[in-house]
Amino acid sequence: MAPIVQCMGLTKTYGGKVALNQIHLTLERGRIIGLLGPNGSGKTTLIKIMNGLLKPTAGEIYINGQKPGIDTKYRVSYLPERTYLYAGMKVIEMVQYFQDFYPDFRMDRAYDMLNRLQIPPNERLKNLSKGTKEKVQLILVMSRDADLYILDEPIAGVDPASRDYILHTIVSNYNRNATILLSTHLISDVENILDEVVFIKYGNIILQAGAEQIRQNEHKSIDRFFREVFAC
Amino acid sequence: MLGKLMKYEWKATWKLLLPMNLLIVIMTFLACITVQVDFFDSDNGMVVFSAMMILLTYMGSMFVVCIGTAIYLIYRFYTSTYGDQGYLLHTLPVDKHHIIISKVLVSAAWIFISMILMFMSVMFLFAQEGEFLQDFVDSFASIIEYWGGAEVTGFIMIMTVIATIFHIFARILKITACISLGQLSADHKVLMSFAFYFAFYFVQQIFTMLYYVFIEVLNSASESLYISFFDNSWEGTLISSIIYSVIFYLVTWYVMDKKLNLE
Repeated sequence: MAPIVQCMGLTKTYGGKVALNQIHLTLERGRIIGLLGPNGSGKTTLIKIMNGLLKPTAGEIYINGQKPGIDTKYRVSYLPERTYLYAGMKVIEMVQYFQDFYPDFRMDRAYDMLNRLQIPPNERLKNLSKGTKEKVQLILVMSRDADLYILDEPIAGVDPASRDYILHTIVSNYNRNATILLSTHLISDVENILDEVVFIKYGNIILQAGAEQIRQNEHKSIDRFFREVFAC
Repeated sequence: MLGKLMKYEWKATWKLLLPMNLLIVIMTFLACITVQVDFFDSDNGMVVFSAMMILLTYMGSMFVVCIGTAIYLIYRFYTSTYGDQGYLLHTLPVDKHHIIISKVLVSAAWIFISMILMFMSVMFLFAQEGEFLQDFVDSFASIIEYWGGAEVTGFIMIMTVIATIFHIFARILKITACISLGQLSADHKVLMSFAFYFAFYFVQQIFTMLYYVFIEVLNSASESLYISFFDNSWEGTLISSIIYSVIFYLVTWYVMDKKLNLE
């Protein structure tokens, strides 16, 4: 089986500025991977290319052995860093929207999570707080049986009390053969669930290693190691 | 998937556009009563003033619906395709052709509905009781004749409606193409969209002028070869609208499929 993500010489430039510099990256299946880097390091650019929202300037990218397109969108569940919900819709209508377009969407799973997070299905999205909207978005994304979940800053907008529950929701609601690629600044909150980390800096992959391997070799937490690597 | 996209496009637009179109119906009803009852002959100044205000509001509402519908549909295309909602739209497992077609068809339907309602509204307002249908046909015929049509037949009327529909498609696709091209700019997306709109407008004007020059040259070359094919305006409108629709559709599709740039 092909790796879930394969990048070969992937490059993206905006005008003269290089956002991704000939990246070579392979992500295997069944892993929870942290994509970690400071602001402007190229995390979101890489994620957008994986989702077909940006076109690379050069190089190749394969998701599930295919170039980003309709077929890969059936297999990738993406949580962007911004709110993409239709404000005029009710939560229940947004659930129906996902059900209509994604054959792998599990309605029962979505309602179960909405219920546990006490989000009323008949509430209009415009009446919800920013944090609650982000929870709804996460629920929609995690209610799919995808091969690859790409979560861009999934806990940045929620209160610390909810973060553990959100992370528990992520870990307990994904297909074990699937991969979760998780981009965040809040490393200490997520490091316990990570199998692997990818450090990205100035558009270059500077490290890809197992989370446990880093802890053993460096004798420190990933959060601490990150702070040292990316110290200003 | 096209059907599903259209369903959600309708659901997203009807909440604002249906009330706007109902406003035309209500204001037409009020204006018709004002004209029929002849409030303007009243001795009471307040009654005459009220009648004038109703007619002014009627005209204002027509303007608001016309401009409002266009602005809303442009805003809707921009935000749902290249704004935050674009992150959802472009990660759906759907063909880009279906995205464009669904938005253009729904927008065209709303514009056509508004046009029909406004046309009917004006006809109602000026038609005399009992002669409405004849007045309606006569008014329609005189408009076509004014545009350049010779003898107005049922066929010409039908073709004029079809040409109008394609003209609506061309107008909508011109805007989708301009907005899409504007997205290629890193910093001034909206400004660049306007720039492309005026650039296309300028080029279209040149093509129209060249076309008339070409016809004039042909006609002056030989009396017997006089080109009357385009005398009826629907033919020119239909052909140019189809050509422009195809060009602007391909531009929109190319940018959306090959150059998508959601930053």
